[in-house]
Amino acid sequence: MTNLVIEATGLTKWYGHRRGVEDVALGVVEGEAFGFLGPNGAGKTTTIRLLLGFLRATSGSARVFGADAFRDAARIHARVSYLGSDPGFLGELTAAEQLDYLGGLRGLPRRAWAPLVERLGLDPTVRIKRLSRGNRQKIGVVAAFMGREPLLVLDEPTSGLDPLMQREFLALAAEARAAGRTVFLSSHNLIEVERACDRVAIIRDGRVVQVSGVGELLGSHWRSVNLVLAAPPAPDAFDLPGVEVVAMTGREVHLMVRGNVNALLGRIAAHAVEDIAITTPDVEDLFLRLYRDDGAASPTAPGEVPA
Amino acid sequence: MTAFRLELRRCRSLALWLAVSLAVYGAVMGVMYPFLKSNDELMRQYMATFPKEFLAAFGMTGVLSDPGVFYTTYMSSWLWPIIATAAALLLGTRAVAADLDRGFLDLPLATPLSRARYLATNITAQVIVLAALATTAVLSIWLSAAATGNVFDLRGYALAGVLSFAFACALAGAATLLSVVTLSRGQASGIIGGAVFAMYAVFVVTQVSKDWAWLAPLSAWGHFRTTELIDQGVVPVGDLALFAAVAIGGWLAAVWAFRRRDLAA
Repeated sequence: MTNLVIEATGLTKWYGHRRGVEDVALGVVEGEAFGFLGPNGAGKTTTIRLLLGFLRATSGSARVFGADAFRDAARIHARVSYLGSDPGFLGELTAAEQLDYLGGLRGLPRRAWAPLVERLGLDPTVRIKRLSRGNRQKIGVVAAFMGREPLLVLDEPTSGLDPLMQREFLALAAEARAAGRTVFLSSHNLIEVERACDRVAIIRDGRVVQVSGVGELLGSHWRSVNLVLAAPPAPDAFDLPGVEVVAMTGREVHLMVRGNVNALLGRIAAHAVEDIAITTPDVEDLFLRLYRDDGAASPTAPGEVPA
Repeated sequence: MTAFRLELRRCRSLALWLAVSLAVYGAVMGVMYPFLKSNDELMRQYMATFPKEFLAAFGMTGVLSDPGVFYTTYMSSWLWPIIATAAALLLGTRAVAADLDRGFLDLPLATPLSRARYLATNITAQVIVLAALATTAVLSIWLSAAATGNVFDLRGYALAGVLSFAFACALAGAATLLSVVTLSRGQASGIIGGAVFAMYAVFVVTQVSKDWAWLAPLSAWGHFRTTELIDQGVVPVGDLALFAAVAIGGWLAAVWAFRRRDLAA
């Protein structure tokens, strides 16, 4: 039986007449790294606040470790480490004091943060109000990873971090995952999710429109095919379902293919091919396509979890 | 203890500056007392030039050299309400409304610390700070007067300190509750500040015009009477109970509401 750490069913939140999220269904399995992708305002933070019990659902249910996310919040939080996108640390404290405070509330020993602070190159003695946004976000990363809670909930954790620190963050996430911890990573950065996660849910306008493996997400979408043939092909040479002819200039052909490529390869094989390049679309392109084309991303069993 | 230590630390600066203000002011007033006493007759003649009702509105219901009138005029009717209101608003609205606004609230509440314990910790800190400020207000005047050879009745002054503390707690309880209900420091402070000002205005009107005297019980100042308390040693059980009920009721309702409240960032 699959052990669900996070389970949301029909999760809906309205702020008066303003939509937060609607009918969100999610299932995050113990030990997996789960990405939660969507642009700003899509409902990522609302979903996370519902899962952490900061908000009460208008309807539907959110359960974490089998407990009600709102009613049993404090009990759930004993097993959760959370990092928000812009944590409001107290400026008058030093990083060390702030981290000791958060560690103390989580039952961690003093200076539990020390190894991570050293690894991220953070000066713990400086008052937080004197730190840059990136360094303040480092404190958040340290706070999130300094414990051993089995679930990490990270809401846009790399915003403000430089590329080196983003890489360090991904390494920390991979280590957490290797240690058997479950990672729930909300982001609008596809590359980050692609690198860190096994599965991904895409949220758009408050609704989860797709849940799939990261590989599947990339595999089930468009690929770019560039051909150089020995002779110009017939205009209808590549008229196939799921194939778009982007450009055909003499012997050079640019196609976009979606789904299974076997039929297309059969047509290509009927020609003398001088050169061929098949590339996976850039993950950013994929995301943009998903958001640009209404209906391109049909809801595909959002709550489905791997067997 | 971790949460409580931070609460106290966050109150430290505010408590220190308010206490210093009270202590300096109280000390100056205490030192001034012998001059009021030695010029008692002159002060009587001077005050006689004002309408009695007008003076009563500012707590001056007798001669200024009287210990109860002295304390009421210079502390209870003037600096203490200002200090108590400022402390109650700043402390009462910080833990929920202000900390939600600055993004801090998520941090402790994402740990095993429950909402009820988080707010209870803040309320405990409020009580400690307000008690310290009330003690400072009373002791600063009492000690400085004593230093000039005028030893006031300590019991009366201690009772005044208790009533002052209860008055401030009532404001803090209401501010905490409004902070949870509105999730806005500005709104909660505006409502409490407005109510305090309105109650003061009502009290002034009730003192100036006997036609409106029936309104006095509706004003906090109608229950914050330190003159008789100091001069006659009468324990104002009813007034204390009223302030305690507002304070404890406000705090309990705040905790109850906070446990059920959406915390929309």
